Amino acid sequence: MSIATERQVAGPTPILPRKAAGILRRVLNHRSDYLYVLPALAVMMVVIAYPIYYTIELSFFKTPQNLQMKDKIFVGLDNYVTILSSESFRSVTLNTLTWTLFSTFFAFLIGLVAALSLHREFAGRGVLRALLLVPYVVSAVAASYVWKWLYHSDFGVIGALAVQFGLTEKPINFLDNLYTVLPSLIVVNVWKEFSFAMIMLMAGLQTVPEQLLRAAQVDGANAWQRFWHVTFPHLRGVSMVTLLLLMVANFNSFIIPFVMTGGGPAGASDIWITQIYSIAFGRQRYGVASAYSVILFIVMMALGYFYVKALTRGDESRAG
Amino acid sequence: MSSPDLTATPARLRKPIDWWRWGGRVFLTLLLLFTVLPMVWMLLTSVKTQFAAMQYPPQWWPAEPTLQNYVKLLDPTNKVGHEFLLYFWNSLYVSTLTTILGVVVAVPAAYAFSRFRFPGRTFLFFSVLLRNMFPAVVFLMPLFLLMRWLGLVGSHGSLILTYLTFGLPLSIWLLKGFYDNIPIQLEQAARIDGATRFQAFILIVMPLSTPGIIATSIFSFIGAWNEYVYAATFINTKERMTLPVGIQSFFAEFATDWPGLMAATFLMSVPVVVLFLVLQKYFVKALTEGAVKH
Repeated sequence: MSIATERQVAGPTPILPRKAAGILRRVLNHRSDYLYVLPALAVMMVVIAYPIYYTIELSFFKTPQNLQMKDKIFVGLDNYVTILSSESFRSVTLNTLTWTLFSTFFAFLIGLVAALSLHREFAGRGVLRALLLVPYVVSAVAASYVWKWLYHSDFGVIGALAVQFGLTEKPINFLDNLYTVLPSLIVVNVWKEFSFAMIMLMAGLQTVPEQLLRAAQVDGANAWQRFWHVTFPHLRGVSMVTLLLLMVANFNSFIIPFVMTGGGPAGASDIWITQIYSIAFGRQRYGVASAYSVILFIVMMALGYFYVKALTRGDESRAG
Repeated sequence: MSSPDLTATPARLRKPIDWWRWGGRVFLTLLLLFTVLPMVWMLLTSVKTQFAAMQYPPQWWPAEPTLQNYVKLLDPTNKVGHEFLLYFWNSLYVSTLTTILGVVVAVPAAYAFSRFRFPGRTFLFFSVLLRNMFPAVVFLMPLFLLMRWLGLVGSHGSLILTYLTFGLPLSIWLLKGFYDNIPIQLEQAARIDGATRFQAFILIVMPLSTPGIIATSIFSFIGAWNEYVYAATFINTKERMTLPVGIQSFFAEFATDWPGLMAATFLMSVPVVVLFLVLQKYFVKALTEGAVKH
């Protein structure tokens, strides 16, 4: 018997139709339960439900520059048309995809190899893991400034090293070049978040049964076969969650491109988020920015669907 | 079973040189360099003078190391130091308050999600989780208007309220994981002994979930300490700025002072890195809790 079931002992006699009465009775029986959730819910309603509603509403309006929202004008789907037909939309979307996919891929790959290499016990493993995690903990603003200095066009250490080793004639201007800016930012992003994948996958590796690996080894499987046929299938769940979380985080990351380049040069590192920010706070066109946000909402909801599915594999079976 | 056989088998099968193992070591070494070198360069730059930093080719090792950048930032009597310490204090104030309030709100909610089966539980839980999916920038406009309406723009209250909701979904999710692992029989035993449900919660469950609370607190604190987008939009006076934003104004004013900026970046990272290193165990547990089912 669980605590949850003891509540459903008795209830008021049904007056309403059976199903509605059943729900009502259950709500009433559990009324004290809601008290525990109420503070969290209240805060969330104010700061989440309301903004989402308001964003959707504003996306159908032309908003005045002075933000006096009572003067807004209904324009229907005009804002959406403006965005989807704008010249920059295609290039910004391409940048967003490049940024998200490459960041996610490399962070996951490096994290996976690091987790596998760190799985075996050795002296200094704890220290090494801690050091690798530091970039994940420091603020993105700090990381952006440090890398901006590393990439500096005149005195940057990376450019100087490239010249030192004879790779280039003179220092590359990483952040001011249409072709190098996005890859350079992706490197910073991967630097910052690969250890998240590493830590998740290390935890996942602990769920791989040792006996299975031993058995495979006795049966003559080589290291690669052991990884592919034993380890990897056990990592599938945690890999799913990790990849989705990385993807969402990258899709939504703002600070690195904003602080390091502000979307430049000539929009070469502009992604959806930085674009939304500059439309809203640079050009004060809240309506258009809201419509942009709604498009982003929709993409996020699709990703969110898979995220929740991946996360709740265990939850529902336990909840019963 | 013959136990000698089991221990002998791997040794017999092991090749003279384990290439995979060596590959792992080489990879880890390179990865460590990739991770650490940027931070090392930050530290090296921060002990250079402005003149020494702006040289090509760079001084690989500071010829005349100096702590003047740190002294300048930490001395409250000069303008830069005064501002920096003020931002630091603001960050500390906002982050601490966010953390405490976050725990107070998240603990009961997580407990309810773990233990009770009230109607709408699944729906509410998912809506809480979905908050994770939305970027800060998207909420920026409506929240800015909301804060203006509440008269909170420019106050620390606006930041605390916002960070609270940022941290809540994750905190609730993490804490729920911890509560799921506490056997329900413990509470039932307490209730048979005459405790009310609330007493069982406070006296039995709370002490057992301390690691979870520590873990979520670290997350809230680090999240609030590092937050930039809202702090940049909501706060319009220098007196109330937090570090990530303040550092930017520092940068804009002293545009070419890279050593000073590196020193400021270092000092800004110290609290979170120390917190992380001391409570690493909890941090790692919190990060992976929920994603991995044992």
